[in-house]
Amino acid sequence: MWLRQAFVVDPSQNLAVERDIVLKDGVIIEIAQNLQPEDVRAVLGLSNSEQIPQVNAAGKYLFPGLVDAHVHLREPGQEDKEDIRSGSRAAVRGGFTSILAMANTKPVIDQRALVEFVRIQGQRAGFAKVYPVAAVTKGFKGTELVEMMDLFEGGAVAFSDDGQGIQNSEIMRLALEYAKLTACPIIAHCEDNNLAGQGVMRRGEASARLGLRGIPASAESVMVARDVLLAGETEGKLHIAHVSTKESVQIIKKAKKLGIDVTAEVNPHHLLFTDEDISLTATAYKVNPPLPTRADQEALIEGLLDGTIDMLATDHAPHTWEDKAKPFAEVPFGINALETALAAVWQGLVAKGKLSIQKLVELWSLKPAQRFGLPAGMLKIGAPADMVLFDPDYKEEISAANLESKSLNTPFLGKEMQGFPVMVWVDGKLLLENRQIIDVKN
Amino acid sequence: MKWKHKDLLDLDVLQAEEIEHILHTAGPMKEILQRPIKKLPTLRGKSVVLLFYESSTRTRTSFETAAKILGADTTNFSVTQSSVNKGESLLDTARTLQAMNVDLVIVRHASSGAADFLAQELRAGVINGGDGQHAHPTQALLDLFTLKEKLGGFQGKKIVIVGDVLHSRVARSNVLGLKKLGAEVVLVGPPTLLPAEMNYLGVKISYDLDAELPGADAVMALRLQLERQQNGLFPSIREYAKLYGLNLERIRKTGKQTVVMHPGPMNRGIEIASDLAESPLSVIDEQVTNGVAVRMALIYLLIGGASSDVA
Repeated sequence: MWLRQAFVVDPSQNLAVERDIVLKDGVIIEIAQNLQPEDVRAVLGLSNSEQIPQVNAAGKYLFPGLVDAHVHLREPGQEDKEDIRSGSRAAVRGGFTSILAMANTKPVIDQRALVEFVRIQGQRAGFAKVYPVAAVTKGFKGTELVEMMDLFEGGAVAFSDDGQGIQNSEIMRLALEYAKLTACPIIAHCEDNNLAGQGVMRRGEASARLGLRGIPASAESVMVARDVLLAGETEGKLHIAHVSTKESVQIIKKAKKLGIDVTAEVNPHHLLFTDEDISLTATAYKVNPPLPTRADQEALIEGLLDGTIDMLATDHAPHTWEDKAKPFAEVPFGINALETALAAVWQGLVAKGKLSIQKLVELWSLKPAQRFGLPAGMLKIGAPADMVLFDPDYKEEISAANLESKSLNTPFLGKEMQGFPVMVWVDGKLLLENRQIIDVKN
Repeated sequence: MKWKHKDLLDLDVLQAEEIEHILHTAGPMKEILQRPIKKLPTLRGKSVVLLFYESSTRTRTSFETAAKILGADTTNFSVTQSSVNKGESLLDTARTLQAMNVDLVIVRHASSGAADFLAQELRAGVINGGDGQHAHPTQALLDLFTLKEKLGGFQGKKIVIVGDVLHSRVARSNVLGLKKLGAEVVLVGPPTLLPAEMNYLGVKISYDLDAELPGADAVMALRLQLERQQNGLFPSIREYAKLYGLNLERIRKTGKQTVVMHPGPMNRGIEIASDLAESPLSVIDEQVTNGVAVRMALIYLLIGGASSDVA
């Protein structure tokens, strides 16, 4: 396949320029300027009479497939919200070709058979590549470590009790120590349960006005501080999920200066919405960690630009319509994000000149691929042809009719957004064309 | 004045004139309440549902009395004996009521925003009878009515509200109303129950009751939820009563014939001493009477006018 005149953005090669790309057997075999048909025939080994399948990509960007380090696919156990197939289709539709599936399913992913199940379900579906994250503690109880080596051998790429914080500091310390056997990071969901209490949004004037119970910023920040200290002490590998406070950013910055092996992610909704956007009936905005204050948001964007925060991640958390059709305090936390996140960041940050395209791709493809050791994040010769053709002008209304996810809990529902993937390949296989998923029989 | 609201969820959306209009309408309602035969045909054929998810004899009875005096039919949707106990969601309950074509739903619920949620789902009018920590607009209106009767007006009047402001829907709605009508409000309580974020209300916040009492035209004690102490928000009932409890001797510091209010039910000897509650300064019983009058006014305004009045 010959992809012509794409504007290729690949931070791994410091590339942001028009290029032609040739694929064969799921791999990139040529990347060069202005190729001629005879060049392409030569690399593909085609005779002069054979047609070259080609795509005209002029005016569009080509990114390495995006890598999302934080996705909830709900299978096994809550398939009414999402399953591995629907979630990995939604991923492809959103431009993500590799996703990390969190372990807070029912049952939680704390045994090798379950890790293998998630991995194999991902392969069966055949859309985005699904990499399982295994639990840190058995049953998410926060008391006993899982069999990390066995889970690692079964395909886990990281360990996390995401969905709840590990309250016992000694267990967290032991996890960071023991996980060294696997070289996988521990992904920390930083939340002190006592400080968070029964809170449903960020504690502050907005929560006071709405009469909603508040979660103080410290509920996250004290755990970020604890976990970087433990990572420093153990020399373990720590990744902080969904950073949402100014103080967390400051702590991570300091930790990096001290040489602690810590990375961090931020979710688009924390960069684009604040606690002031919440109203009593806007349950799609209820998320954990809660939407930040304006000052926190500015610190998050600054941290993203100065390298304190390493990557973007969606924290895609699908919930059914009836889950969210309740009073604010009673609905579950979570935003459905895979199919809107890229357009949201494009419109909210890139189009406004706050984030460069190169940085966007670095944050959402190269960096997560590197941190979690995935074969992704670059468009070099020999690399798997996981690619996104992105049209910055494409507009679409977010609606139940066009979402691949089973759930609709997005603040963007009913709104028109701009900047979407128009073609997506995984291992050279075209899985999205004209914003439609292509069904493939495996 | 033409009434243009379908619901009453909180006082934030009302103009000062609209609040005055409710208080003005409540005046004749209070007279009706004093009559030997308390029954009007005004709302005959209108159906009012009382949907109380939190137990509340006082507020529910007040609404029910108000609706019945006006001639409406009332139905108590008693949550403990209903489909809610079978796991029906608030949404499905709302749709059931809608299908019965009721005219007005009065809801009390432990979740902030429950009334807003119902109002969004129902064509019928909704009155918020108290939602979580968010709002209790009819309590605020009856307090405003009482204050207006006693003080004549609000301009230049100093109103001290003391107690668990953080968790109080009564305090929130009262401050909104009092500010709109031009009163000076001071909130008093311990820092754990009156944290910095309550500054959103834009009124003075103080931890020292005795310092704020001089010059107060009215003092409103809030009910203390005793489980707050178990949650560590203050060290003991004893210390709370000592610092923030109202009593006859303390109230003299105002230097005025101060109006003493409490939304009830009272914890006697904690936020208010019996010597004060039973004194002539106390208007606590009148607040209850005025509650019926104000609720009559509201129900009348919401469903009593020509149907074209409903926006």
